[in-house]
Order: sequence, then C-alpha cells, then structure tokens
Amino acid sequence: MSRLLGALLTASFLASPLQSQDSVIARLRRQADSLLSAWRDAQRLAALADSLEQVRATAGSDTIAVGGLRIIVNPSPLPLREAAERAWPVIDSLYGSAAEDLPRYPYIFRAVDPDSSVRRTVLHVGVEVPWDLDVRATTSLLLTTVTPPSLDAALADWLGSALRPTLRPHDEGAAVFIQLVTAPSEAVRRCFLGDIARCKDVLQIGDSTGLLARWYVTPAEREALVTGSFTDYFARGATAPTLQNCRQHRDDACIALLQLLPPGSLPRPLGQAARLVLVREALRAGGRDAYRRLVASPNAAIEARLSSAAGTDIDSLVARWRNDVLAARPRPLSLPWWAGFAAIGWTALLGFCALRSSRWRL
Amino acid sequence: MASLKRWVLVGLTACAVLALAYLPPRGVKSSDKSVFVGQSPQGTRTRQHAQALAEEWRNADAAVRLLEDRQQVKRDFVRASPTIVFRGATLPPHSVRNIETVMDSVWRGLGLGETKVRVTLVVALQQPSGPADSPTPLQDRVAYLTPDSTDRTTCIASLPAGPYWTLVIQGKRDARHEGFGRFAQWLQAGLGPCAFYAAYGTPGRPVQGWLAARNWDVGLYLGSHGIAGERFSSLDLLGNPRFSGFWDAVYALPPATVACLAGRWSGCSAAVLAGAADEATIPIPNVILVERRWWRVQRLLPGERYLGDVARTVGRDGFQSFWSSGQPVDTALALALKRPVGEWTADWERAFVRPIRLGPTPPLGGMAIALAIAVLALAIVAGTASRRQVR
Repeated sequence: MSRLLGALLTASFLASPLQSQDSVIARLRRQADSLLSAWRDAQRLAALADSLEQVRATAGSDTIAVGGLRIIVNPSPLPLREAAERAWPVIDSLYGSAAEDLPRYPYIFRAVDPDSSVRRTVLHVGVEVPWDLDVRATTSLLLTTVTPPSLDAALADWLGSALRPTLRPHDEGAAVFIQLVTAPSEAVRRCFLGDIARCKDVLQIGDSTGLLARWYVTPAEREALVTGSFTDYFARGATAPTLQNCRQHRDDACIALLQLLPPGSLPRPLGQAARLVLVREALRAGGRDAYRRLVASPNAAIEARLSSAAGTDIDSLVARWRNDVLAARPRPLSLPWWAGFAAIGWTALLGFCALRSSRWRL
Repeated sequence: MASLKRWVLVGLTACAVLALAYLPPRGVKSSDKSVFVGQSPQGTRTRQHAQALAEEWRNADAAVRLLEDRQQVKRDFVRASPTIVFRGATLPPHSVRNIETVMDSVWRGLGLGETKVRVTLVVALQQPSGPADSPTPLQDRVAYLTPDSTDRTTCIASLPAGPYWTLVIQGKRDARHEGFGRFAQWLQAGLGPCAFYAAYGTPGRPVQGWLAARNWDVGLYLGSHGIAGERFSSLDLLGNPRFSGFWDAVYALPPATVACLAGRWSGCSAAVLAGAADEATIPIPNVILVERRWWRVQRLLPGERYLGDVARTVGRDGFQSFWSSGQPVDTALALALKRPVGEWTADWERAFVRPIRLGPTPPLGGMAIALAIAVLALAIVAGTASRRQVR
C-alpha cells in the first residue's frame, strides 16, 4: 500500500511541471480569448464612432460637386470650385471612364486659418488645408491628392508612385529627356539612340532577371556605380578588400559587390518620371477605357497591362514614348539680342574705371 | 580733403540710386513666412482603445503560441544546432535541409555545439491577411520564451520572416544574388537572448532581473560581426556628424547614453547599469518581446552587441562567472572585466565611434579673432592710460 502511495506521489511530483505549464497555457488562452472578444466589441464601437465622427466632422460643411469630384469642406475663402473646374478636365483625361468612380472617394478638407495661434481641434477625418491658398495651389492640391481609382500595389511599385494627373506634362517629358541624355548608363544611351529593347530594359518592362548586366552594361559604369553611390556601404568589414579591387578596375569585384546589395536597391538608370510618361502615353493611346484596362488585371505582367491599356504592342508603345520624350527636349536658353552688348558694355565700363583709378589720397 | 568729400558724395549718390532701383516703394512680405503644418489624422478614442486591445491580444497570443510550440515541437536530436520549425507553409524537404545547413554553420560560427539549453527557432512565414474577426497576429517583432521552472532546457525564438525572407525561404526569390550570407546573419540575429541561454545557461537572478528591466537591449546579439553584418549597428542610424540630423538623434537619447558617446566614464557606467538596481520580477512564462525598432529604446549604443563583446573580452569562464553570479550586477561585471564598468565601457564605445564633443564648440578662427580683438582693446586702453596726464 505504502509502495503504491509512494509511486503515485512520485508520479504526481514529476508531472507537476507539465500540469502547471498546461494551466499557464489555459490561463493565457482564456486571457487571449477574452481580449479577442473585447477587441471585437471595441471594433464594432470604433466603426460606429468613426462613422459618427465622419458625420460630425462634415456637419455644416459644403459639398462641391464638379464632374466626378466631390469636395466636402467647411465654409472658407478657399477657391475650391474654381480649382475643381480646372482640375476635373485634367483628371478626367487621365482616368477616362474610370473617373466615374471618383464620387466614391470624396475629398474631405478642413480649411483652417494659417495665421492663428489658436489651438486646433484634433483631426480625425480628412486633411487640413490653410485657407489662404490661391486657385493654382488649390488645383494642385486637388490633383496631387486625388485617389487613383483601383490602383493596385504591383502597378504602384513599378511606377514608384501613385498615378496622378499633372498640370505640366511637358515638364515631365523634359525631365525624362534630360535623364536620357545625361544618365551614366550605356543602356540609356542606346535607348536614346533608338534601341527599343534597351528602352524596355531601362523602363523595367518584361524580363526582370539579370538587371545589373542589362542596366549597367560596361565595367566603367559598374565601377562608377560602386564608387559613386556605395563606397560608404562597402568600405567596412568583409567587403572592404573587394571594394579596393573594384577601385582598381577589377570588374568581377564590382559585380560581386553590386550583387550583395539588398533587393530593390540597385539604382534604376531612369527615374520614375520615365515610367509615368510611359503610362500616360499608354492611356492617351488607349482612349477613355484605357485606364480601366490597365487596372483590370493586377496579376498580369506590366508589359501586358500596358499593351492592353494602349491597345497596341509594347514595342510600338515604347517607341511612341521615346518619340514623345525626344519631342519634349527642353528649349535651349536663349538670350535677347541686346544681352551680349550689355555684357560687353559693362565689362568695358568696369575695366575703364579700374584703369582710371588712382591711389586713394586722404 | 576736397577730393575725399567728392568721393563720399559720389558713393552716397550711388547708394541712393541703387536703393531706388532695387528697393520697391512699398512694403514687402517677410521672407521667413512660417510654413503651415497640417495635423495628421488620429484615430478616435474608441479606435485607439480597439488598437490597444489588439496589441494586448497579440502579446497574449504570441505567448500562447510560444508555450504551445514548447510543448509540441519535437527536438531534432541528430543536430546540435537549433531545431527549426516553419509556420504558415509546408516547405519541401530540400529547402528545410538547406536552411538547417545554414543554421548549423551559424551555430558553429558562434562557437556553440551541444548545449544544455536547447534552442528552437520558429520561423513564421508571412501569410495573406487572415479573417477580419481577429487582429493580425504578431508579425513585426521577435518573441522569445526563455527557460523557466516548467521547462529548464528549452529556449524558443519566434522569428517573423516578413515578405522578403518568406519569398527567399519559399524559393520564390533568387537568394543567389541576394547572398546567403545575409540570410545567415538574419538567422543569427534572430537567435537573440536564446543564444546567450544556449551558451551560458540561465543567468543568475541579479543579471536576469537587470536584463528583464531593460528588455535585453544589451544582449540581443551574441555574434561578433554586428547584428546585420559588418555594415550595421545601431550607431550607424545616427547618421553623419556633419549633418544636423545626427545631433537631433543624439539629443533624443537618454542623458547617460549621450555622456557615454562623449566618452565619459560615469555616463557609460550609468548607461550600462540602468535597471540593475530595480527589483524586477521575472514572470512565468518569461516572454521577451523585442521592439520592432529596438534601436530606438537602447540606453547604450551599439548596445545590441555589448554582452557579446564582454563575453569575447573576458573569455568563457569569466563571462560565465558574471552570468551566473549572485552578486549585484555592477560588482559581478566589474569583477569579470577586472576594471570599473564605466572605464571599460568608455573604451569599448571608443572602438565604434570617436567621442562626440558636448557643449559649445567655437571654431578656431572665431576664437583667434575674439582673442585678437580683446588684445587690441587691452592695448588701446593701456596706451590711453599711459598717455593720460593729470593737470
């Protein structure tokens, strides 16, 4: 009997840590379940509070409707109607038939006095705007904060920004032209000279493998990239000797270093403006439904989406993009005819004064 | 003299002409117009309350998962290095073997073999967002469950893989170009406090309380290369001292941390021993949640490697005596280092960063000019005084 009792006691003693662990898990699980239940209640309340806050924040506000734009704003001197009348055609021309969806995403602004030192109430809904903006600045505000309808993450990632309209598309094209002629990349240069395959490479359309070799074609470019942009990054630790080798024109060392870069950090030879211009061109070519086609298949390759949007094959689209960019070449700086004479005259006058001067005598 | 007057007149006339030409006859706007800064929208009170509850649930849920893992995970007794478990997806056997090989080499690199405290690494692969009827589980912080009285020989690390490493582990992203070395660094950094438990066992009560009070900020990394390879330590995040952002970052740190960066022994001592005097209670289960941006809550820079460096400096036996000591932390650490804590730490800090200069630092040229003016003024006064005549 005593043996049996002893065995039972020993077994219960040995099992006690496991039992206590079980009880801890059970206790924590109960706690988690209780928290989850409380969270669900809180979520419901928060949803209600958010909608009430939205009603409260927009109570007494004006709603301005211009085309598909809906702007909810408190009464203020902001010239929103005029700005919306300017912005709407630009927005409509970019998104085409998809702009019909915009009433679902109204702007909610809170116009505030920018010069007042009175403490403002906490903002829960919308965007604060100073009420002294002029029409141009307000138009720009509407264009830069419009919600692109159904823009997916893949397209936004590739673009590097949201696709929004611009008041000055020519400036964008001019910026891309400057990149085309100044980017230290042989691939970009070949694109500038008309090699459409290289244009696709530098625009990151299609095959995304081996980008390093396709973007930075020559050893000199790779060395310049390492020494110009990543010296600090590679100068310490195990990569320092490889960096030295790269500086001594060892291309294999430069390639090895560039392959060590974190994903996505290899600088693109062309900035995001180039891709924006390409998408704008596709939308222009594809007509009013082009944007809808562009965002219709978020899982498709960018190349296919652009082709579908433009209603043409990708090579033709890229060729059109290139022509647009070349046409947007910035105007060279031109001086008025009299500027040269004025410069020479001033030079002569100052030279004469200098030659005529004598030592100061007091 | 007449010539001088003429030139003065010409100069004044020229000034007047320039003023007429360039200064508009009206008030001008101030060029330093203040920039309007709009508020960022904040959640309503009820929304903030819901978010706080979600955070509490995440912590409780993480603790439950760690405890369940401790109960359920079968140890791989063939390998000395940590058992690796993947959550969120089933990986093909060859992928698992590859990752285990990397972990084996990481383990050997840390100088570890068979250890009394075994480590289990739970790698949580990124999953698509789940149902909306529960908050997203903890995905941005590493969680550790240290050995306790219910299981004295297991330390569990739960390491969220995030989108990038999930793709690499699943073979959907080519790791060849990204470098498997970085993957090894990530795994090594993920071991965190469990690496210390494996190497030196359960710490003595004072050390455990000290580390718990400061959430292990000085014991996040046992390796010698920096938590994200040679190129990264929390000091790098301060930026370049030539830019103002550096000083903004420095003065956002606690005073003792700043003093230690300036090479002051007392500051270093205070930064290291913060929390040592607290009577921290060690909860059971002891779950350590490392902040996502752990470098923002450090009291010593680069604190993540401090204990690892101490261990390498004093040797295994020396560190073991400190680790399991029952003496107060300051005494135990000073005994292990055989030097005052502040002095050793200031030298250690100097190995990473040149001591910053605190207080006003006038440029040399400015000082020279100021001294020259002072000397000139003194000379004039002295000269005047020497010529003074009393009538």
